[in-house]
Amino acid sequence: MKSESLLIRVGLVIYLVLFFTYLLGPLFLMSITAFNSASFPQVTPWEVLSFEWFSVLFNDQRIISGITNSLIVGFFTVILSVTIGLAGALMLTQIWPKIRATFYTIIIAPILIPGVVLGISTLVFWDRVNVMLGFSNDSFLHNGILLTVLGQSTFIASYCMLVFVARLQRYDVGLTEAALDLGATHVQAFRKIQLPFLAPAMGSAAVLAFLASFENYNTTTFTFQKYPTLTIELAQKVRYGINPSIAALAFIIVCLTIFFALLHEVKNRRAQLAIANGAPIGAVSNGFTMPKFFTGNPAAVSLAVFVVAVVATIGISRVYDPEPAKAVLLKEKRAEQALRIEALQNRMREKRLKKLYKGPDIFGSGNSKVPQAPSKIGAGGVFNPSNLDSASPAKPETPQSPGKGTFGNVFDPGNLNNDN
Amino acid sequence: MKKGILEEYFRRNGKLMGWGLLLAVGFWVVVLIILPQISMLDFSFRNHLPPPEIGGPKDTYTLANYQYLIFGAQGNEEGYNKVDLLVFVRTLVAAAFVTILDLLLCYPIAYYLGQSKGGGYVRILVLLLIIPYWINEILRAFAFRIIFGDSGVINEFMLLFGLIDSPVDFIRANIALYAGLGYAYILLMIFPIYNVIESLDRNQIEAARDMGASWTMIHRRVVIPYAKPGISSGCTMVFMLSAGALAAPQILGGPSSLWFTQLIYQWFNQGGNWTQGSAYAVVLLVTCIIIVLSVMRLFKVNMGDIGK
Repeated sequence: MKSESLLIRVGLVIYLVLFFTYLLGPLFLMSITAFNSASFPQVTPWEVLSFEWFSVLFNDQRIISGITNSLIVGFFTVILSVTIGLAGALMLTQIWPKIRATFYTIIIAPILIPGVVLGISTLVFWDRVNVMLGFSNDSFLHNGILLTVLGQSTFIASYCMLVFVARLQRYDVGLTEAALDLGATHVQAFRKIQLPFLAPAMGSAAVLAFLASFENYNTTTFTFQKYPTLTIELAQKVRYGINPSIAALAFIIVCLTIFFALLHEVKNRRAQLAIANGAPIGAVSNGFTMPKFFTGNPAAVSLAVFVVAVVATIGISRVYDPEPAKAVLLKEKRAEQALRIEALQNRMREKRLKKLYKGPDIFGSGNSKVPQAPSKIGAGGVFNPSNLDSASPAKPETPQSPGKGTFGNVFDPGNLNNDN
Repeated sequence: MKKGILEEYFRRNGKLMGWGLLLAVGFWVVVLIILPQISMLDFSFRNHLPPPEIGGPKDTYTLANYQYLIFGAQGNEEGYNKVDLLVFVRTLVAAAFVTILDLLLCYPIAYYLGQSKGGGYVRILVLLLIIPYWINEILRAFAFRIIFGDSGVINEFMLLFGLIDSPVDFIRANIALYAGLGYAYILLMIFPIYNVIESLDRNQIEAARDMGASWTMIHRRVVIPYAKPGISSGCTMVFMLSAGALAAPQILGGPSSLWFTQLIYQWFNQGGNWTQGSAYAVVLLVTCIIIVLSVMRLFKVNMGDIGK
């Protein structure tokens, strides 16, 4: 029994490590490629630490306009989907029980409908409306931003609805009734009582909606028309030739994500601690002292470390100049190339020499009697003169001048003398 | 009867609020959800016509678009549109495969997180789970392309350690695609299961253990039956999203294997044949709905459990 639980424990640790490697490894590797100067996003072979891809990114007009479009679309999508999501949730709490299930199925369905289908149906529907109303082809109903907002809101509103439903389950309807009894109008009761209660849910629904809108591809790809969002631009870039500036963007997004996630965690944790200590949250928030901020809050520590690391990276990127390192690399590359060329030459030389060595076997010692003009020794002077005959045809250019032979050191006069 | 309900509704919400709610919900349900779907369905039964002829005498209903999916172009020798049908079946099978893969991968961690006491350490783990989900879908696929490419990290390392002689083409073998798709929807599998298991009383597991149930037995007889709504909710989401995925197949898919959504995309953006594309989209939608409904029937799960 003991050994079994130990086995399970070890297995669990291995599994956790593997799982999180799978989860975070790709993001980590992608971020690294942003700092490699190689023009294809790669970790190996590593060239030089470089920040140039970030400036490539910031100077990319298509990325910039994509971000602008994404922000516009995101803004309107948040407003529309939070509104109708809230309305849907409120309706769900008071709808006739018999059609409640049907209603729920209809408003939850957009989450399950493939995004592609949502995009197509939005495009087709508004196109038909346009035709029916007799508008021209470039009327506002063909505006990419409007279509994208409508298409995205269809399913993002469902997410918002789920957030509101969760919150509304804890709402005491008696509060609204009390307000009404005290003479408030319905609008006042909603605005003063119910809306403040729903405010946190509205915040998280808005964040959720914005993120979903920002990263949506499937629906947007059919509706964007002349206003490609960032995701669309990225997809086109990735599909037709990739370079590390995309990795640089990814790195920035990863950093932002980690930052906000940690920030959120720190806030939660502080609220928790405050409640645990029996103090109101306000007391802790106001009395903001460093040690308290960090105690028992691993997220806060990670946040601080993370911020320091980012600031340091930015600082380094300001000071750091990859050019010298690049020059070194270039030099190294050239040297390597030179080495390779030399190696090649050596190999060729060896081949030739082998041929030369074969000489004596072919001609035998009998032919070695006749030493020819010294100039002809050029190619293979080191060797036995008997080689000369075979050597000279192989290297016809050498005879011109004895001093210019390929194998410089060979021409030591002493050599010649000795040989002869 | 109906009038009574409406009166009751307006009495509770007031005129202004009541109409506002009705308007917003009506806009969502009718204009954003129902009408577009109906319009797409209607469009899929029409002839492919140039814009001036739409609404003209030639604009009649036809089954040609669906016939094309099944039988191919007219005069097709083979009798069936083998290419497109094969893509369709392969998409569904691959999506099911990805779903099972994700389930196997995520069940242990969901169980572990759900049953742990929830200290700061576990909260950090949950945070780590969420972070990849906030990264753009395209960028996630891009990361997998860096890893699985010819000169990607995996190939380089295997070459370095002499495990292989020449780079393995992960993209062509679709390994990159499955890894990327599985990766993209991990969170949607974990959280439904996690939420359910979190509410499971630990005493039940203790009791089973005291009675001498083995480790596998506890899971098979106690945890999994309890977590069934979460499991089927997660599986439904992952299956639908993988079958409807477009970005990952476009970026990570091999040159010889298409995803069904890519065919739809081609009809719209390259072929310019919207009616044909609508027909394909309807087929995808209906098939997915049928599969999800039958899975829910099979595991006796309600629609209300989805999205928790």
